[in-house]
Amino acid sequence: MITFGKGNLRVPRWSKRVFLVAGGCTPFRKYFPEYKLEELVMMAFKMMLEENDLKRSPKEIKDCINFAVYGEFADHFQDQLLCEAKVHDYLGLDPLYNVGIKTGGATGGSAVLMGAMAIASGYANCVLVAGWERMDEVDTRTGNFYISTAACKDFETRMGRIYSSYYAPMAKRFAWAYNLSEITRAKVAVKNRGYAMSNPNAQQPGYHTVEEVLASPISAYPLRFLECCAMSTGAACVLLCDEEMAYQLTDKPCELFIAGGSHTLRVADRRPMEIPLLPHEYPGQYDELLKENPRWPGFESFLAARFAAYLVYQMAGIKNPIEDLDFVELHDAFTISDIQTYGDIGLRPYGQEPDYIESGDAYYGGKCPSNLSGGLLGTMHAVGATGIWQAAECLWQIQGKYDYFHGHEKWWRRAGKEKPKDWKSLQVKDAKQGLWVSHAGVGSHVTVGILRKAW
Amino acid sequence: MSKKIDETQVERPLSTEYIGTPHELFDESENYWVIKWPRSLVHRHTYGLLTPFFRALTQGKLLATRCTNPDCPHKSTWLPPRADCPDCFERMQWVEVPAEGRIYTYTMVDYAGIGIEMKTPYWQIDVEIEGVDTIFKGYLLYGKPEIGMKVKAQFRTDKPTHTILDIYWVPAEE
Repeated sequence: MITFGKGNLRVPRWSKRVFLVAGGCTPFRKYFPEYKLEELVMMAFKMMLEENDLKRSPKEIKDCINFAVYGEFADHFQDQLLCEAKVHDYLGLDPLYNVGIKTGGATGGSAVLMGAMAIASGYANCVLVAGWERMDEVDTRTGNFYISTAACKDFETRMGRIYSSYYAPMAKRFAWAYNLSEITRAKVAVKNRGYAMSNPNAQQPGYHTVEEVLASPISAYPLRFLECCAMSTGAACVLLCDEEMAYQLTDKPCELFIAGGSHTLRVADRRPMEIPLLPHEYPGQYDELLKENPRWPGFESFLAARFAAYLVYQMAGIKNPIEDLDFVELHDAFTISDIQTYGDIGLRPYGQEPDYIESGDAYYGGKCPSNLSGGLLGTMHAVGATGIWQAAECLWQIQGKYDYFHGHEKWWRRAGKEKPKDWKSLQVKDAKQGLWVSHAGVGSHVTVGILRKAW
Repeated sequence: MSKKIDETQVERPLSTEYIGTPHELFDESENYWVIKWPRSLVHRHTYGLLTPFFRALTQGKLLATRCTNPDCPHKSTWLPPRADCPDCFERMQWVEVPAEGRIYTYTMVDYAGIGIEMKTPYWQIDVEIEGVDTIFKGYLLYGKPEIGMKVKAQFRTDKPTHTILDIYWVPAEE
């Protein structure tokens, strides 16, 4: 059993409080030839400046920015090294310093974390965090291969050359260990793709049935196509501020808490670990479970997600996530990874993850709904943008602006779509606090962020 | 090394010749052009200190690395191998491990990424090997996998690929 040193478990303490005040994004598409990459980032940036009820003009806000963090998953996709410089110049932000952040699927979350660190340290008081991915320069199977090089090139990539083939064994093992049915898995796809029907920016919205999901083609058994996210092109950004700047720019800032965790690139290398306990868990709680399945986190769970939650719940004073959080945005790149995470972040105890779906808690109107944005399955996974876009969706929920950003005709027009006649609002009433998970690899990097109403 | 050119010695004016291949349009509309940008690349990739592992596969042996440092808190055995112990940072030792194990989990790969070297669909399996602290990914040559099923390794000693695909698994008798 691997144990952790006291220093390893230190909870981050920031020198200054950090706030998130605005967000923007593009529509997300499989193929987006109308715009170059930097033009897409500009679209998201302008939306952030102009549409968030900020108390200063876009030019005045631009004059406040003093640092930028950019998220991009893979140079393979952009085919442009130093893309950050190109985007930064295009946004007119020279000579401010900027850095590019890369942590696979968690790139967006990591970019927000780095931006938050800049605020917390005092290096900056107004930080742009923007992310993007242009996955449409190559065909889907080439894209699948590129992504699979984020598995170990010596020992894994040649097996499958597609990421679903690294999640599918986890799905198989999880089902074996914790009695997860295919139907529960399919319900996640039905739920999130259904919620995407309300999102004008969604790439693959749809009202599906469990039967349709399970009848869709197999990618890597048992995962079906409708259980996997798609290649996506688009951009997103958020604006982070210190306390003083936040209230100068908006009457509705959200305080931000965020932390990260990591684990091996290869699931295979995960030796049994001690489980860092969340505030609502107790010593000995998992003794029985570990007797039956002693390899925790094994192929069932993600140490990186558990560790990030362990830190951020202490930073934010979360006592019991299912009670304290009004909604969550999870990294549903695959149905199974979504379900695995319920245990890691304590929405359910380990071993009881499927109950979060089956109980109804995960649905709109439920105790703690998840992925009302449509998530990765329904709306987008333009990888470098994802964790940033999720933060924006969380902000808008807490600000009570879900209906504006999803229901206003202008966004449907921008996306080249007609607003559905039966459009449904998914605004959570009186939402005060939400969480999002940004997740890489088979759990190599995970950030967990919390936004809290601060007005 | 190309010959160094002295600018003053160039007798005739240089003219620039385009020697590339014109790019075709992949897609076009009134508002945009999308060009085709083909390329073919060769990388030179080293197996570094793990070279003995890949060489051993071509000789029909399965090697792992083990930490033998008496002060190491875990003394783990690693497969995939790694040269240096992450627990105590000492160089590890090569050990031959049994070429048999049990299926820990599996998948059937149906839709694979480009360049896949196995004909799809095929069974990809993760194998638990006694005495090894990690789980080892591979593929099953034939048969239908079950969690807990016993399998044994075989090796591509004839015409090796010089990759991890030089080892594969087949069902073993209980």
